[in-house]
Amino acid sequence: MLAISDVDQNPLPENTESDSATPRVLSILSLVLERMVTRNEMLSLNSEGGRRLGKNLEVFHGVRPPAITIPKYLDRIYKYTNCSPACFVVGYIYIDRLVHRHPGSLVVSLNVHRLLVTSIMLAAKILDDEHYNNAFYARVGGVTNVELNRLEVEFLFMLDFDLTVTSRVFESYCLYLEREMLMWNGTKVHNESGTRTNAIEDIAEISVEDMESFSSSISNGVLA
Amino acid sequence: MPVKQSKHKSRLKENVFTLPFFSCQSIITYTPFLSAPQNPKFPFDSISVSQEQPAAVSMAIAAPGQLNTTESPTWGSRSVDCFEKLEQIGEGTYGQVYMAREIKTGEIVALKKIRMDNEREGFPITAIREIKILKKLHHENVIKLKEIVTSSGPEKDEQGRPDGNKYKGGIYMVFEYMDHDLTGLADRPGMRFTVPQIKCYMRQLLTGLHYCHVNQVLHRDIKGSNLLIDNEGNLKLADFGLARSFSNDHNGNLTNRVITLWYRPPELLLGTTKYGPAVDMWSVGCIFAELLHGKPIFPGKDEPEQLSKIFDLCGAPDENNWPGVSKIPWYNNFKPTRPLKRRLRETYRHFDRHALELLEKMLTLDPSQRISAKDALDAEYFWIDPLPCDPKSLPKYEASHEFQTKKKRQQQRQHDEAMKRQKTHHQQQQHSRLPPTMQQQSGQAHGQMRPNAPMQLGAGGGPGHHYGKARAGPSSGSNRYPQGGNPSGGYNHPPNRGGGPYPPPQAYGRGGGGNSGYAVGPPNYSQGGGSGAGSGGGRGNAPMGGNRGQQYNNWQ
Repeated sequence: MLAISDVDQNPLPENTESDSATPRVLSILSLVLERMVTRNEMLSLNSEGGRRLGKNLEVFHGVRPPAITIPKYLDRIYKYTNCSPACFVVGYIYIDRLVHRHPGSLVVSLNVHRLLVTSIMLAAKILDDEHYNNAFYARVGGVTNVELNRLEVEFLFMLDFDLTVTSRVFESYCLYLEREMLMWNGTKVHNESGTRTNAIEDIAEISVEDMESFSSSISNGVLA
Repeated sequence: MPVKQSKHKSRLKENVFTLPFFSCQSIITYTPFLSAPQNPKFPFDSISVSQEQPAAVSMAIAAPGQLNTTESPTWGSRSVDCFEKLEQIGEGTYGQVYMAREIKTGEIVALKKIRMDNEREGFPITAIREIKILKKLHHENVIKLKEIVTSSGPEKDEQGRPDGNKYKGGIYMVFEYMDHDLTGLADRPGMRFTVPQIKCYMRQLLTGLHYCHVNQVLHRDIKGSNLLIDNEGNLKLADFGLARSFSNDHNGNLTNRVITLWYRPPELLLGTTKYGPAVDMWSVGCIFAELLHGKPIFPGKDEPEQLSKIFDLCGAPDENNWPGVSKIPWYNNFKPTRPLKRRLRETYRHFDRHALELLEKMLTLDPSQRISAKDALDAEYFWIDPLPCDPKSLPKYEASHEFQTKKKRQQQRQHDEAMKRQKTHHQQQQHSRLPPTMQQQSGQAHGQMRPNAPMQLGAGGGPGHHYGKARAGPSSGSNRYPQGGNPSGGYNHPPNRGGGPYPPPQAYGRGGGGNSGYAVGPPNYSQGGGSGAGSGGGRGNAPMGGNRGQQYNNWQ
């Protein structure tokens, strides 16, 4: 697994209670996704046609937002399926592709969980030597086997089976995630107090270093 | 914020999230499902490294209008009803293959149904791989995946409306239609390929493969039955269910459980997990030799025998002819006890000099010294008289597909039984044509399907290519196919379990029914393939049944 996973556990409040063995990519991803969901929900509230915005992703919608938070959900998937951390990045890439292919679809709290379990499962299916089957992912993800299969097919068609992720694309997403992390930490620390400038540097330094091992260890693990 | 409320009651039922999730937690604790994964999966196809443009990283937050629009019409938007199924032409691990006509254009295509009946596995990974790869490959010597169509099936919800699941009835891959496969063609009674014809096929094979390799795709299942040939003489690589992307820099950890046994290179048999395009080139060498020799050159029945057949012909590997070989995982288990000289030239001294020269370079033990597809295309063999012929000049043959011939064989068997033939006559019967009634039937069917087909109907329309074992080996039981069943049966076992490098022999001996491994094995490799009932084979030796499908499932 990731060498960095246990190095740096301080940055995310969302993640404070989480297991110390959680790879950092999960924290970053949670952060990015939660922020995206919040923004999208504002957007859909503000706009007249808000209800229509998520239309393309209807099939992924639940009746109400699941009680489990994104970080906990990711953590759960990671813990039970033991998929490689890269699957989370690739899953995220797939979701990103999906919304790019279908303008007008928004990732919101009603669909984000289903999108995640589907995309991570597909990533694991494609990337990991050993992966669990759909039935297992369904249990972990809290959906029925039948529903997950349907989500999988929908997802594949919505992506137009465009599942190839080159190492360059992969790395660029890793960089993006890392940067988001840094920025988030930076603003947070800045806002809190000026006395912690050292901390910023510390974090930045650790993270930059991490970032290298982060992307390289992920890619070594999976690109091979 | 809630974008959608429970408009449909059915949604409520489905929404498991409303059951607090943690019911799942408890499931997790009591179910023993954290034991071994259900399917000892397939070696990871990983992130591939090739053509995709390095996309700018942009995030999915933007409002509509700001985003890229989709490039091409989305696959899956059309229904299978746009096609009229004409005839089943194959039966693969992941479903049946039909010859069909597109209603609007009249174009003949092959429809390969993706089997979705294994609920626990969901969408078959082999199909995902194949689609993913074929979507990127566009070449005249690579089978063209035209589109994917869906069928909503007959299901309705409680109110009698279609239940909105447009995939229920099935998902089909639409391929261009090809009349033959190389093995089927070569096996036709009386078939002899001319030298320009062999050169023509070989050159197309190498051109297609070169294209795959420069696009960093390993085919990993090159064999005659995966080389489809149309009546224009074009040869195309098919069945990318085992293919994967590779990268030159991340060279490692691929599965060695690929490629049909007879065409599998020594490095895979010795257990290497770091390999590249050279594995496909070995298979090409085997096919080349087979075309020249008239039958498979390494018909091993299991891995150890496969290796010993290779070593017998190509000599034993050692650090001199193959630096690094002693570090390959199972080298010590399999290294020959006595020194073996390379006897390739001697064995095939009757081959044309240039052919032999090229073959030597393809069947080189050390993969790093094996010739590449590109260099092979430059070989003198292709540039001296007689030159490869123009594909269009090749003779046209009546289409025959494994499935059809199997069916015909079965019909014949029934007929034979009905006639209460004596056992002694039976063997002769096998090589005879179909009784007249059958011939007529099949002729009619064919004529209906392809009114413009230039071929002579009925000619060779009897027992298909598998039937006429004109060149079968010595004993009557001899067969192209390894005894004891599907050579790929072993793929149901995850590598390196159960002690030695290879599972005990009986693990391979999945004869007959075929297909048994679908649910548990790495999908494509359980290609028992047989169509259940029909797979017993017409030759009366049941264990072969499964293999037939496996060898001939072009469309898988």
